[in-house]
Amino acid sequence: MIRLYHVHKAYGQVPALDDVSFQLPKGEFCYVTGPSGAGKSTLLRLLYGAELPSSGKLLVGGVDASKLNGRQLPFLRRNIGVVFQDFKLIPSRNVHDNVGLALEVLGTDRGQIDRRVRAVLHTVGLRGKEGRLPAALSGGEQQRVAVARAIINDPAIILADEPTGNLDGAMAVEVMEILRAVNLRGTTILIATHDAALMNRFPARRLHFQGGKLVSQ
Amino acid sequence: MTTLPHVLRRAVRSLWENLSLNLVASGVIAAALMLAGVYLTVIVNLEGMVSSWERDVHVSAYFYSDVPVDRRFAIKDDIARLSEVTDVRYISEEAARSYLADKVPEVQDILGELGDGVLPASLEITLREDFTGPAQVGGFAEQLKGPDFEDIDYGQEWVQRFNTFLSLLQALGVAMGGLILTASVFLVANAMHLVVYTRRPELETMKLVGATWGFISTPFLIEGAVQGLVGAGLAIAGVYGLHHFLLLRLQETLQLTIGGGTLAFLPTAHLLGLLLAGVALGILGCLTAVRRFWTAAA
Repeated sequence: MIRLYHVHKAYGQVPALDDVSFQLPKGEFCYVTGPSGAGKSTLLRLLYGAELPSSGKLLVGGVDASKLNGRQLPFLRRNIGVVFQDFKLIPSRNVHDNVGLALEVLGTDRGQIDRRVRAVLHTVGLRGKEGRLPAALSGGEQQRVAVARAIINDPAIILADEPTGNLDGAMAVEVMEILRAVNLRGTTILIATHDAALMNRFPARRLHFQGGKLVSQ
Repeated sequence: MTTLPHVLRRAVRSLWENLSLNLVASGVIAAALMLAGVYLTVIVNLEGMVSSWERDVHVSAYFYSDVPVDRRFAIKDDIARLSEVTDVRYISEEAARSYLADKVPEVQDILGELGDGVLPASLEITLREDFTGPAQVGGFAEQLKGPDFEDIDYGQEWVQRFNTFLSLLQALGVAMGGLILTASVFLVANAMHLVVYTRRPELETMKLVGATWGFISTPFLIEGAVQGLVGAGLAIAGVYGLHHFLLLRLQETLQLTIGGGTLAFLPTAHLLGLLLAGVALGILGCLTAVRRFWTAAA
């Protein structure tokens, strides 16, 4: 599902990723670990097309993400759900609109969006909170809204950048359980984290980065 | 599946939610187009004036005093037969003298002192309407020159000079208009940049979940078109008001008679042009702002 061949990414003279190669089969649950500045977020940004690698090849769901142009990028992203540490919810839109956004851009009709939003909010345990604004939700609930938005169009891949970084223990576990459940349905999941306790509780393959290099997997 | 209903809903919502900024943008467009509208009104009326003068061009041919009267009438008949001529009037010296004395009573005494032979007899020649171009009238006057006429006079020369002035005014207007419209695109773009900025989190999230350039930009372009229409509408109303309350008063005061005797308002084609220019300005301003966001966002 994800393949990297000698990927190198540098910002000016500073390398952020150095000769990174690995493969992630379909349906895998995997962590990207390492200290701050190891290149975890850079790797995820390359995978969802926010940046292009300086060199090397990057295949995401069969698409060559190292050669994407502006027109192709939206179509790659429709196949990827992304979850961020800071949730990236739209503060002025309610839960329904935030979650339904991923279907709106596909041109799904309103009735179907309503049905799918209700179903996915039920999955993440937020049923009945469609009309709330993000500010009226707890951190854990906001992250569950972000997860709901990421999974509503059944993407093949979910990328999560420190998804539990802003959450306390119980809430972090709730979010991880949701991601695990999504993974059991066949979605490939790649989570950047340095939360060792969580990785121990939900064991999976780890890609460990240090100074931009993949040092173990 | 179609994104059109979502795009339209977003456009309407954005227009409403950013009402004050949209009004600012419309106001900028209205100000720019009102200047353009006033300029066009002036040009349209000046052009009307010039073309009515051109239509009214007479050629005056002044006889030498020693040309016998029967010869003068024979020449008049010859000229009347020319295809480009619609009317020829013979003005005798007496008729010219009484006309001048009638129009300018102050010169009556001077004319008396000067005696006969001061004002020559002449032919007043009216040309066909389609034969009033500067080159045609000039050529006709040239054709009349000969041993019978002392001088050939036609008002075309100063009409031509006025035409040159008008062309200069038009060129100046195009240059000034270009500058004003460019400035207004920047002002609209800046107003829209604020709209884009306030909606940046939403737009970034949309881009993240796979929204295309068309999905993100179209609501802004619709917004721009509406701003432009409103701005152009305001500008036309402004020019209309100005035309009625200011220009018509000026006309009464100055007793101007132009073309059909009234100051003209902008013709429909010009009004449509202003509306289209408003829409284009709005769209261009919004496009500039949203493109800035699109290239800057990840």
